[in-house]
Amino acid sequence: MKKSFKIIVASVIAAGILLALFLLFIKPAGSSVSAVRTGQPAGSFPANPDGITPGNSSGVIKEAKAMPVYGHWRNFTTKDGLPSDKAYTVRIDGERVLVGTHDGLAVFEDEKWRTYTTKDGLAHNGVVSVDVDALTGDVWIGTLGGLNRWSAGKFETFNQFNSGMPNDLVYNVFCYGKDLWIATAGGAGHYDTRSKQWEIFTEINAPMHEPWTYALSAGDGKIWIAAWGGGVIEYNTLTGHFRDYVDPDGFMEIDLQPDDGVIHDITTATSYADSILWVSTYFGMSRYDGKNWKGYFKEDSGLASNFINFLRAEGSVVFVCCDNGLSTFDGETWVTYKKNDSDENGKALITNGKEVTEVPLSPSVAHNFIIGVDAYEDVLWVATSKGVSRGVLLR
Amino acid sequence: MRKHLKILIPVAVILITAGALYPFYHRWAREHVNYLTATNDHPLKCTSCHLYLRKSGLISKLVNAKYYSPFNLVVSGDGRSLYITAEEGNALLIVDTGKYRVIHKVEVGIRPHSIILSKDETTAYVSNQWSDNVSVVDLGRYLVTDTLYTGSGPAGLALSADGSCLYVVNSFSSDISVIDLSTGTEIKRLSSGNNPTGIQANCDGSRLFVTSRRTLSPPFGDTLRCELTIISDNNRRVAERMDIPSAHMMENVAFTPAGDLAIMPLVRPKNNVPAIQVERGWMMTYGIAVIEQGPPGRTVQLLLDEPNAFYPDPFDIVLTPDGKRAFISHAGADCISVVDIEAVRTILKESSADMLYRYSNHLGISSRFVVKRIPTGSNPKGLALSPDGKKLFVAEHLLDRIAVISTETLEITGIIDLDGPRRTTVVRLGRQLFNNAGHTFQNQYSCYTCHPDAHEDGLVYNMASIDMGRNMTNTQSLRNIGDTPPFKWNGRNQTVYKQDGMRFSTVLTRTEAFSYQELDAITAYIMTGIANPPNLRYNPNGELTESQKHGKEIFERTHDSKGYEIPVVNRCITCHPAPYFTNRQLADVGTLAVTDDSILFDTPHLNNIFASPPYLHDGRASTLEEIWTLYGKTEQHGAVNDLTKMELNYLVEYLKSLRDPEYERNSTGIQKASF
Repeated sequence: MKKSFKIIVASVIAAGILLALFLLFIKPAGSSVSAVRTGQPAGSFPANPDGITPGNSSGVIKEAKAMPVYGHWRNFTTKDGLPSDKAYTVRIDGERVLVGTHDGLAVFEDEKWRTYTTKDGLAHNGVVSVDVDALTGDVWIGTLGGLNRWSAGKFETFNQFNSGMPNDLVYNVFCYGKDLWIATAGGAGHYDTRSKQWEIFTEINAPMHEPWTYALSAGDGKIWIAAWGGGVIEYNTLTGHFRDYVDPDGFMEIDLQPDDGVIHDITTATSYADSILWVSTYFGMSRYDGKNWKGYFKEDSGLASNFINFLRAEGSVVFVCCDNGLSTFDGETWVTYKKNDSDENGKALITNGKEVTEVPLSPSVAHNFIIGVDAYEDVLWVATSKGVSRGVLLR
Repeated sequence: MRKHLKILIPVAVILITAGALYPFYHRWAREHVNYLTATNDHPLKCTSCHLYLRKSGLISKLVNAKYYSPFNLVVSGDGRSLYITAEEGNALLIVDTGKYRVIHKVEVGIRPHSIILSKDETTAYVSNQWSDNVSVVDLGRYLVTDTLYTGSGPAGLALSADGSCLYVVNSFSSDISVIDLSTGTEIKRLSSGNNPTGIQANCDGSRLFVTSRRTLSPPFGDTLRCELTIISDNNRRVAERMDIPSAHMMENVAFTPAGDLAIMPLVRPKNNVPAIQVERGWMMTYGIAVIEQGPPGRTVQLLLDEPNAFYPDPFDIVLTPDGKRAFISHAGADCISVVDIEAVRTILKESSADMLYRYSNHLGISSRFVVKRIPTGSNPKGLALSPDGKKLFVAEHLLDRIAVISTETLEITGIIDLDGPRRTTVVRLGRQLFNNAGHTFQNQYSCYTCHPDAHEDGLVYNMASIDMGRNMTNTQSLRNIGDTPPFKWNGRNQTVYKQDGMRFSTVLTRTEAFSYQELDAITAYIMTGIANPPNLRYNPNGELTESQKHGKEIFERTHDSKGYEIPVVNRCITCHPAPYFTNRQLADVGTLAVTDDSILFDTPHLNNIFASPPYLHDGRASTLEEIWTLYGKTEQHGAVNDLTKMELNYLVEYLKSLRDPEYERNSTGIQKASF
């Protein structure tokens, strides 16, 4: 009996030591976490609040080279307080995170979700885009039924009936200095918050194929409009001139001539950072450095899928929201996050050239149909069709 | 003899002819005056119209005068100097408080509104409401040394706690410019409530309260709410937007030295109640909002009125350094209310939430905290206390002088004459009457109350009807309205004489009508003395933008986008021709509501129409766009349904560009005379 007891005690001690070593071994270096864009002290969000550890994350880091790698995924659904699992957009705003869902605007602050709906003044409960005016702190909200300015807790509604805005179906909002730009089903809109005047850009006054616009972004005095069937419309705010970038080969089915321009005329988003314009389509992704275009496809890169809902570039990295995972790319290395179909776990696929490394992650993002993304410092938030996910930088 | 006959005969002929014609002339003149005044006993004084209703020319210059009209003021830290904005003198006046006289006059921009001194008092900043800028005045040399560009209609001013930034409240564009004083440039613009004016930092300078005058656009017939915008000085962003219910015209705000209360004068209109019920005390009430800065953080409204006496148009508020008293100027009652702050605290302490709610409509509650009413000269506006709190300076806006009140005896102890014109012109008298509630039952409201700045208050009133909810009408601007008869939405008043005559007192003011001398004066003021501000936002120099040019083409078009001719009655230009953009006729534009009597509506003038929301006779359209997007489906109000959204925007942009004909003629934008 004593002998058995000794063995049991020794086994327990040994197991404890092994467990401790294991935990020590996998602890990510420098995993201080901050969710904030401005001023939030590191560690405001616990690095691993659920005690879940990413499998082999050190491997991910090594393979990903200079690319940021996110792990410790924490997923939020209606069970956690989200008004809907269908999340269309996410934006980090200081100490809070704004999530546009099918059933209202959800705000995550102090570890709690709070929902705002039409009862609170929201134009429509389908919130598809959110951006924050860096100067004033005002939040602009694009919905399926109008536009809101949410300032100091008060909603102000703009729609096609009470203002000069082009259309109530607002797919995308983008704050650029004192100006607000919106992409709608009835054209792109420009609202000067100082003069309070609207401008509309459609196929009538811009080189668009039709007024349907999906998204836009801005930088260096230029606006890039992702126009349905019209490629990318570049508008120079200084000269008032337009320039369009369309698929030179004109083929809808294939990209006949690689890297000859934007890969397809049906564009879904643009994002500009580090002097690079990134363009997403339902047929792949394009990168434009001001001189040369480069196309990326699932077949010849680490892109999760050619069907891209949205993308956002932050610094040298672009975050690509695909219908089959989230891809990140810095021009050299791809890191793509995918969830397993059968369980909550997933994997990271690191692609360097033709080398692909698959690393298991536990848990993974909430769903592979990725619609929105935002990153700031050490935190990445992802909006999916089955909830919202938050990952933290693993180094 | 023959020589005399040559003279006598023509004279006799003339006299006989004149004698023969006189009865006919007198009858014509009587009918003429009767028509204009809608009475049959108005004195036949030709000068009433033909002298005092001239807007320009030599006669206008002779009968009018240029007044200073002191508006806001501040006292220097040593109490020796008083700095006054002369609203119509376009100047900053510096008064020696020892000598009681103006010692310097610095010309600034047009319609200076407010003034603030830099921390070291070497510089004054003056907001020029009609110039869209701030004059930087060197108080050592009494020179304007710089001009800071702002939003539209700069009014209230405040410095950041560190003195590095200037907050400018833009009353016309409803936002707040944040100006970096080291560079003189606007670094950001914060949206505010509707038509903001006053701004005041709390005791530690961490938060700035910005008051609004007009309500936010509530759903038709809903409770009014006016925004108090609170800015955090730390990040220079809006931290909070408080809706003050049932209130508007919140001109200014002040804090107790202890910092526990913010107090804000306001107006509580009962605009949905039939105006005829003014005799029941149900038309307008005036009070203060008391906002607790600490727990429980209540916002309480207390009326300054009394059961049988109202104190209209509260404007400014200051508190003594010891925090015991507040002084509130009543521009419509020519007096200052003295408020016992401790009594206010007691009311807050003793009263339940239900009682406090009732006090917001309680005409007797003022007896518990108003210590005294100090009579002043005409139209008291800005207030300033000497640093020791012993003297209260009151800008007597329409008398060109400053009253000095002892805060101990609560009596006027002196008058500082600003050396304006000595005479009171007819138009000036009219303006004084316009701004005074003395001709309304129990002083309940002045013309100014519903027509602040001789404009409109953005509210819809139940006028000229005894039935609740019938014939609701949107207040019309009086700016340059003189040339656009008929008046009222139903167009029944062919002249201002009729508008403001006997029927006016019978239906609206419910007290003694204006005397004919007073009627002459107020008519002269309305007909000639109310100018539109320059349209600096949308048409600063008469050159239309490309969008506005497109809009002008649409406005003047005769054929629709498919080439079909638009019926003449459906063209914009038919009913809205320049220069006032009204044909002065009545029309049916398809807006008759089931609650309206079956009538046609007067075609309104459109200059500066951007500044007059809401729109249509009952204010149902919150914006110009809504006139057509929501309420123009029948095409009775112009042929617009073929327009694309972009083209409708062009049309709206053009409408916003319309400005007063005076500015088309005179590019300097300076009003020729002031009243």
